[in-house]
Amino acid sequence: MDFLRAAIAPVLSWSLCFPAPLALAQDSASASNPAPNAASNDQSSASSKHRTTFASTQLQGDARILHALNRLTFGPRPGDVEAVRAMSLDKWFDQQLHPDNIDETDLNARIAQYPAMQWSTQDLLLRMPSPAIIRQAADGKINIPPSGTLHAVYENQIYRYQMRKAAKADKQTAANQGLGTPGAAQTPATNSNTTGNMSGAAMDGSGGFSGGAMAPNAVTATQPAAAQPDMTAATTPAMDTSSPNTMTPPAMNPASTAPALTPAPTPTADPVLIANILALPPADRVRRLQAMDPEHFDSFIKSLKPAQRAALVANMTPDLKESVEDLAAPEQTVVRELNAERLTRDIYSNAQLEEVMTDFWLNHFNVYLRKNEQMPYYLASYARDTIRPHALGKFEDLLEAVAHSPAMMIYLDNAQSMGPDSLAAERAKTVNERRPNAKRQAPEGLNENYARELMELHTVGVNGGYTQADVTQVARVLTGWTVDRPQLGGGFQFNENRHEPGTKKVMGAKIKDGGEAEGRELLHMLATRPATAEFISRKLAIRFVSDDPPQALVDRMAKAYLASGGDIPAVLTTLFHSPEFWSASNDSAKVKTPLEYVVSAVRSSNANVTNFEPLVNSLRQMGMPLYGCVPPVGYKWDEADWVSTGALVDRMNFALSLAANKLPGITVGWAPDIDMSALDDNAPAMQVVPTPESEEARLAQVLLPGGVSDATRAAALKQFEEQNGQNSLMATPVLAARKANRAPADAYEREDQLLAGLLMGSPEFQRR
Amino acid sequence: MRMNRRFFLHNGALAVAGTTAMPNFLVRSVLAQAAGAGQIGRGQRLVVIFQRGAADGLNVVVPYREKNYYKMRPSIAIPENQVLDLDGFFGLHPSLAAFKPLYDQGQLAIVHACGSPDMSRSHFDAQDYMESGTPGVKNTDDGWLNRALQAQDSADAAYVAACNCGRHNQEHTAFRALALGAEVPRTLAGTVPAIAIGNVNNFTVAGRGATPSPAASAFEAMYADSGDRIFHAAGDETFEAVKMLKAANPAQYTPATGVNYPNTDFGNNMRQIAQLLKANLGVEAAFTDVTGWDTHQNQGGVNGQLANRLGDFSASIAAFWRDLGDDRGNVTLVTMSEFGRTARENGTGGTDHGHANAMFVLGGQVKGGKVYGKWPGLDDDQLNEGRDLMLTTDYRQVLGEVVTRTLGAENLETVFPGARLRRAGFLRLV
Repeated sequence: MDFLRAAIAPVLSWSLCFPAPLALAQDSASASNPAPNAASNDQSSASSKHRTTFASTQLQGDARILHALNRLTFGPRPGDVEAVRAMSLDKWFDQQLHPDNIDETDLNARIAQYPAMQWSTQDLLLRMPSPAIIRQAADGKINIPPSGTLHAVYENQIYRYQMRKAAKADKQTAANQGLGTPGAAQTPATNSNTTGNMSGAAMDGSGGFSGGAMAPNAVTATQPAAAQPDMTAATTPAMDTSSPNTMTPPAMNPASTAPALTPAPTPTADPVLIANILALPPADRVRRLQAMDPEHFDSFIKSLKPAQRAALVANMTPDLKESVEDLAAPEQTVVRELNAERLTRDIYSNAQLEEVMTDFWLNHFNVYLRKNEQMPYYLASYARDTIRPHALGKFEDLLEAVAHSPAMMIYLDNAQSMGPDSLAAERAKTVNERRPNAKRQAPEGLNENYARELMELHTVGVNGGYTQADVTQVARVLTGWTVDRPQLGGGFQFNENRHEPGTKKVMGAKIKDGGEAEGRELLHMLATRPATAEFISRKLAIRFVSDDPPQALVDRMAKAYLASGGDIPAVLTTLFHSPEFWSASNDSAKVKTPLEYVVSAVRSSNANVTNFEPLVNSLRQMGMPLYGCVPPVGYKWDEADWVSTGALVDRMNFALSLAANKLPGITVGWAPDIDMSALDDNAPAMQVVPTPESEEARLAQVLLPGGVSDATRAAALKQFEEQNGQNSLMATPVLAARKANRAPADAYEREDQLLAGLLMGSPEFQRR
Repeated sequence: MRMNRRFFLHNGALAVAGTTAMPNFLVRSVLAQAAGAGQIGRGQRLVVIFQRGAADGLNVVVPYREKNYYKMRPSIAIPENQVLDLDGFFGLHPSLAAFKPLYDQGQLAIVHACGSPDMSRSHFDAQDYMESGTPGVKNTDDGWLNRALQAQDSADAAYVAACNCGRHNQEHTAFRALALGAEVPRTLAGTVPAIAIGNVNNFTVAGRGATPSPAASAFEAMYADSGDRIFHAAGDETFEAVKMLKAANPAQYTPATGVNYPNTDFGNNMRQIAQLLKANLGVEAAFTDVTGWDTHQNQGGVNGQLANRLGDFSASIAAFWRDLGDDRGNVTLVTMSEFGRTARENGTGGTDHGHANAMFVLGGQVKGGKVYGKWPGLDDDQLNEGRDLMLTTDYRQVLGEVVTRTLGAENLETVFPGARLRRAGFLRLV
């Protein structure tokens, strides 16, 4: 009887809830997207013979757990399926929705490596000064901290800044003397840093200190082969060359502060001095570096070999390590930690759904890292204080928080917007009229940028029922929402003087003159619109279900959104309990974005990451740099955006590099859990000797618990067969030695590395 | 699942497309055949260069007869006796010496007072608008160059439908839309597959050896045999591209005799574009960019910062042009920058964000040796908002003509939606 009931109930719900759409979705999906594992292939062929029972269209058992892990986390780690099974899927989901009690001991220890990421934006800008701060300090516009490490940080950067200026002046002198024949082939090398408008230290790879054990050129993942090809192009940060920096630096006198010297070729630090400093205890090492004058410090840092760079910060507390990095390259340290902290959470957090949603909202409320020189500093707080606390909260709270974030106000220019009839605009007009040739005319009007995106991208969507007139009205409502002293990392500020007086009318609703309250009223109105419920629900369904989610599902989620007052967990719960989510046709239907791909590979290989730069660089190469999306729309979740020729090359090379421990600062291990010493004593019968087949099966279970296609397995194993056929000891030490059960452990490891790399580069691993 | 747009290119993808009618864009070559070699717009290749940072058009193509030019730019103007005269009114910056012969030979055309009609002075927005091809519209998904290829596909499909000659014998390759750089740029984003290559020597799976490594062979077999049609097709394309490139042996490339590319990022990119064009890999549209134009301070005049950038810029392009040799006849190159700079120099020996700019169009089919566009003048009352060169030619008008005449994109509403371009408005420079 139980069996009957179980069979009937789903059939009923099938016919009641979604007769046509689901059937269609499934047919087309199984036709167009053969699921990689054999099990689902069997399923679809079986379903054509016997008209489906509902059970066969829904994932069951471990497949269900795996699906949940694939969609609601950044990918399963070894052991995750078993853990979820032990606690029950529903309970696991509930815990993910309410992650406060999840044990994060490991994560917290890793996050503790980045103390600066807990500072306020102001502190961060003061203590790890941006190029703009350094320029102002050099020009005497702000005071240099009088003593201590911080004093040395400023001195070092001012020195660098002046050297760069002097070098530029020299080049110009050379040009003036006719050394650079115009148009001739020997034009001086491109210097992407020739203008004061481009951030200085951010692009100055030469003096940067990369923290980990890598030279600037050793961090890319593209080439696992022994021969390192020319990586110049790949290691040039794409953002720096492709993106403008919109900030205009303060006026400065180019000559007055430059040292009266020609920059000498970088002097080499005395090897004995280097050895002496490296031999000091950690705290003394920092004191010693801090006491160096900028010139010696510069040559010292530039003389270090990669291993010495690692040794320089060895055994240091995170604070001391940060100090050393600050002394060498403050802005780079901020950017590096910003990226590292985010990836640390994506990879190691046990509250995976919270991180997935944080990533989702960071993308939904996209802010671009290089909008101006302060943005990296603001982004630390943006992720920490604005997005993550609300990632699993109420949408309206999140929207409010974003609207009150300096990062968004700057990124979408609302910080500069001014009511045309406001006090501030009147004043600006007077000033501008008095100085028509002023270098920078004070702004005196509206900027609609944020107003438009607030509706189009953040809430109701482009078809959400607003007009250009509404955009202008919203811009008026939001005048005065600005940032207090943005150059110094100040916070949100409502500036009454900039606010446009009078009543506004947005999408038919009157918003009475009320200062900052107008904006709050507007945000509440937008957050509670049905169009917003639909827009957010659809976007979530695209992230979690399929590129083209069923309308019935979206409608159900939107209903939950409206009923719960925009409660994100309520919407996700509806999603989780919808049959569309569990439909077998959606199994592995999503192509991983580069971020999902990279993070899932690291998670499934249980890698220990102490240096995130190779991952950061790989993401950039794959076209998805963290905080690197220039337009406000953010990255897409569709497969069409992420499957391309160049991308596949990058993914394959990344998989091979990761699996073979070729990414500096990232370690993985694949060795089988066997007693190798026992293998040596010529007692083969007592041991289960690993074969390529058994290793492939073992690794596949770890990396692709959902199953591996025959094609992938055959291709991965083929090379071992070929080698076996040749039976050459030189070519196949493992196979030859295996026969005598004398294969050394590292030979197995190498074989496993290749197998694991192939599995992580396989078509199956591109999907979730 | 809706039809994926990227993977109906090659035999393999066509095979898995199954019952679907032959995709439009597989049929383009019929045109080339039927239309005959003489018709412009077929078999032409387009190279697009973006000068990021807003180049100072008034010091690039100098209106040296304008008195106000010298008045407004006391320390950075190019003296009349130093410009490379073009037509008695305009002259090239002396660092563009490499461009002068191309202009004189009639291959290089200039369009002045040209650019995006949007008034944004944000690099960020303006670049986005230039690349999307929809000034003022933020959320256009794709870029104009990709849409130009889409329009080319539609035009070809229409042609085939009309002539009822439903056969085709040539397909686009994985190199059809090529970007030299880490990412596919906004300009090339869209439904036509585009490939981004940072360095041709690195575009390989698991090592650079002449024979594929075991891992590369394993991946190739894995994707070739995969039942996942998206990745099956992507794998086909990828390994085809890798092999095509390997066969072209990029590491061994030497430019034509006497051609010296500047050893700069831009020079290297131009060298690689020439290399890929000459290798007959099927490149139809190529894109790269060149930075360093944002000269707010200490811009220099005859020498200095801008002069250095122009030296690299023109030497790289001239080397590219010479390197192409016989291919010049079917290549067109166009340059653009997000906006111009203020007509007056600022307080720090530089220029701030302005409006209209100058574009270069170079090609075997180009009617060069002329500065196109209506000149708005530089008197104080002729300036845009009292500070910038006024815009008289929408950049889309130039690009629209170029893509029509080179790529054969006929539906300009597809390429530049909302621009309402009319052929009557073409400058007739191609």
